[in-house]
Amino acid sequence: MKFTTDIVIGLEIHVQLDTKTKLFCGCATKGSEEPNTRTCPACLGFPGSKPVLNKRAVDYALRLCLALGCEISPKLIFSRKSYFYPDLAKNYQISQYEIPLGLSGELRLSDWKMVGITRVHMEEDPASLIHTKSTGASAYVLVDYNRSGIPLCEVVTEPDMASPDQARDFMKRLMTVLSYLDIFDEQTCVIKADANISIKESGYVRSEIKNITGFKEIERALFYEVERQKIAVRSGEKLMQDTRGWDAEKGMTFHMRAKETEADYGYILDPDLVVTEIPSEWLKQVKASMPELAEDKIRKYVETHKIAQLDAEVIAQERKLAELFEKVAKEVDPVLAAKWMRRELVRVMSFNKITFHDLLVDEKHLIELLSMVEKKEITEQVAQKIMEELVVKPFSPRQYVEKHGLKRVAETGALLKVCEEVIKENKNVVEEYLAGKEKSFQFLVGQVMRKTKGAASPQEVNELLRKLLKSKS
Amino acid sequence: MRTLEVVELIRKGNLSIEESTHKVIEEVKKLTSEYNYFNTIAADTAIKRAKELDAQIKKGKKSGKLLGIPISVKDSICVKGMESTGGSRILEGYIPPFNATAVQRCLDEGAIVIGKTSQDEFGFGGFSVNVGVGYKVPKNPFDKTRTCGGSSGGCAGYTQKTAYNQLSIGESTGGSIVEPASFCGIVGLCPTYGRVSRYGLMDFSNAMDKIGPMTRTLEDAALLLEVIAGFDSNESTTINAPVDSYTKVLKKSLKGMKFAVIKEAFAEGLDPAVEKHVWNGIKKLESAGATYEEISLKIPIKYGISTYYLLGTSEASTNLAKYCGMRYGKQDKLEGSFNEYFTKVRSSYLGEEAKRRIMLGTFARMAGYRDAYYLKALKVRTLMINEYKKAFKKYDVLATPTVSILPPKFSEIEKLTPLQCYMIDVLTVGPNIAGLPHLNMPVGMEKGLPVGMLLTADHLQEGKLVQLGSWLE
Repeated sequence: MKFTTDIVIGLEIHVQLDTKTKLFCGCATKGSEEPNTRTCPACLGFPGSKPVLNKRAVDYALRLCLALGCEISPKLIFSRKSYFYPDLAKNYQISQYEIPLGLSGELRLSDWKMVGITRVHMEEDPASLIHTKSTGASAYVLVDYNRSGIPLCEVVTEPDMASPDQARDFMKRLMTVLSYLDIFDEQTCVIKADANISIKESGYVRSEIKNITGFKEIERALFYEVERQKIAVRSGEKLMQDTRGWDAEKGMTFHMRAKETEADYGYILDPDLVVTEIPSEWLKQVKASMPELAEDKIRKYVETHKIAQLDAEVIAQERKLAELFEKVAKEVDPVLAAKWMRRELVRVMSFNKITFHDLLVDEKHLIELLSMVEKKEITEQVAQKIMEELVVKPFSPRQYVEKHGLKRVAETGALLKVCEEVIKENKNVVEEYLAGKEKSFQFLVGQVMRKTKGAASPQEVNELLRKLLKSKS
Repeated sequence: MRTLEVVELIRKGNLSIEESTHKVIEEVKKLTSEYNYFNTIAADTAIKRAKELDAQIKKGKKSGKLLGIPISVKDSICVKGMESTGGSRILEGYIPPFNATAVQRCLDEGAIVIGKTSQDEFGFGGFSVNVGVGYKVPKNPFDKTRTCGGSSGGCAGYTQKTAYNQLSIGESTGGSIVEPASFCGIVGLCPTYGRVSRYGLMDFSNAMDKIGPMTRTLEDAALLLEVIAGFDSNESTTINAPVDSYTKVLKKSLKGMKFAVIKEAFAEGLDPAVEKHVWNGIKKLESAGATYEEISLKIPIKYGISTYYLLGTSEASTNLAKYCGMRYGKQDKLEGSFNEYFTKVRSSYLGEEAKRRIMLGTFARMAGYRDAYYLKALKVRTLMINEYKKAFKKYDVLATPTVSILPPKFSEIEKLTPLQCYMIDVLTVGPNIAGLPHLNMPVGMEKGLPVGMLLTADHLQEGKLVQLGSWLE
């Protein structure tokens, strides 16, 4: 392949599927954290045990393939990937090799770049190794087979990303897809990536960074690795293909082993799992069960709701936000709702470090708040303040406004009265203003705002005050 | 007395199971000290179960097709709570936590497991001389200086020698039921691949392994197959088709039945005595009403051995990887790295033939050789199945000798090269690779040694084998 960009990145992402039971046995994927309690002869690799495929996991993997626009293999074929490692119960992993479930898909990034998906395949998760001390320092490791056999989907991309930022964006967007598909639980399932990265200056000599957890870490690790490679090349070092680890604490990648040849896994078909056709009936059912995805929603928001593309993108990328928005947009002008939810809600949430997972906002309250804004019953300043409190704990914005007298103070009536009061109470300041001191005017505006507890629009106060003062001069 | 009659006596309470089990166990002990037929004798378990069954019968609570009947089980088939090693030192002390489905079904019908029989380690051989490190070699019941055949040698020798109504559960990958049956003069019925669940069988070659009856009479074999055959949700390769009443077709008229004699099986290297007795058998079938023709069937005999060893060792080398002294079986002092540890365990406790097959199989599936060996063997298997299928359009059953020679002396076997040893299966690997049901029937004695004839039928046509075979008894 001929590369042209300064940086070339490809990803291999392992996603734990959120099924109730493991891929080849009936053991629970979640539950007791006590080591080796969620195990059976199959996931412990006992002699005589046999794998029985979890159809639900295939269902989930098919959803992912369809969402990424992959071609679906007509047959379901599993292979044995052989290597000796203490986390592998059978010293081989049941995976897919020649014919993966999905081939040649794609996923769009925020900047409209299309990233090719080479393949999507299914495999079983190995057990977890527990090092009692740091790796290498311990004389032994402990093995917990609770994870052994949890279904994984591996997504392999083309080397299409040209920056750590794009890699992060890819991961983020993949997470969105997973979230809409309901096949991945952000709270309990793990997503890991291996990243291949090379730079132009070295003639694209590739390093593979193993086992990076989470999309923020991807960006950090790749950013570090780009700099490392650049510095190495600049100082005259000849880069060699290698496999590297990522130390998240130190924020550094480290050399693990040279990659002279491809490892030989001696793949054979797994004869315990018969090669089966994927019946078109099954595929049809999965297709019918596919939810609306982010891309569908963006199109809908832009075309039918007439929302700005950028607002639509931001909202659709967060499933919870999108669902909330769609409920609110039924009652409130969608453009106004989009603007408020995309900017204010997200701003207030990030200020309070609240994620969409623990967001408690009730759509009824949001509808109340935004319809008051829509009808100009409250000012934007008041609405912002209410939003700030609403994300922390639920309450009825309408009752709150009434209780605290925060209704918008209109020109004819109350606001005029307040302005006159302020002028009367601050004669000296008024005189200073009339003598040409502009600062004094701002003081007067501030006084009005204070008295109205922000329920007046500053613009209106401005206009009203100037009008009143003009008549005095 | 027929087994059916014994079951009837027991059911009526006219025969104490406890008493008869005591006698059976005494005999097993005596025969094993002389002939090495058992790796584990389950005296206490068997007596305890016999007492329980007696008590249940008294209360009128118990019935079953195999009520009170002792069964011996090849060591590689798991019996819950009973040491099961597959004849390998590396599994010393392994007590399975579950029953193989075939065993469970026998227990459900009231049978008593008396122990685990000797075999070539994990089924790797045709003479039962490739036993695990420190295990004893079973001896031919007609001449202790000769082999029982293998790999289900213990099943065959004991079944011939016992004075009691006993049924044995054997296993075949390339001929390990019919070949020892032939050498010991008993009935061996290897069913269609997938007819009997492999759940609980220690894998040799999962795509070819089959569990089947080894018995004194064909009626016993038919009875046992009725019990153990059928779909099993624990095992993905079992066939979901109704199980025929094999006992009902015994001595059914052969009118209209057409079988073929395969010319290639009567070639150079065939012992004239074997040839003579097999032709006697063919003539017997003819006089009983069947017709036959001589046909040519080239692929199985020409390519059978190479295909069998490529597929068999490829799969075996992955199946044996799990035996590394970690989770069960023989363990050593924990020393060195994981690689050093498991290498030491495997070097010490796997036998020579197991090591040879691991190396052959690992080689055959290595990158660069995989296409030439493993994948090509898969293609040849398909060609072989097609050739058989074509023959079965014209003929109900195919006939050959089971083995070309009389059971050899141990002193002769010692002089054979590994390849010469592998050739012992030349007539039996074909049906085994193709997953076709096949039956050994004793057809005569020569110099005090038994000769067997092999009948092979189309998939799921075990009934035809029983029907035809019953005219040879």
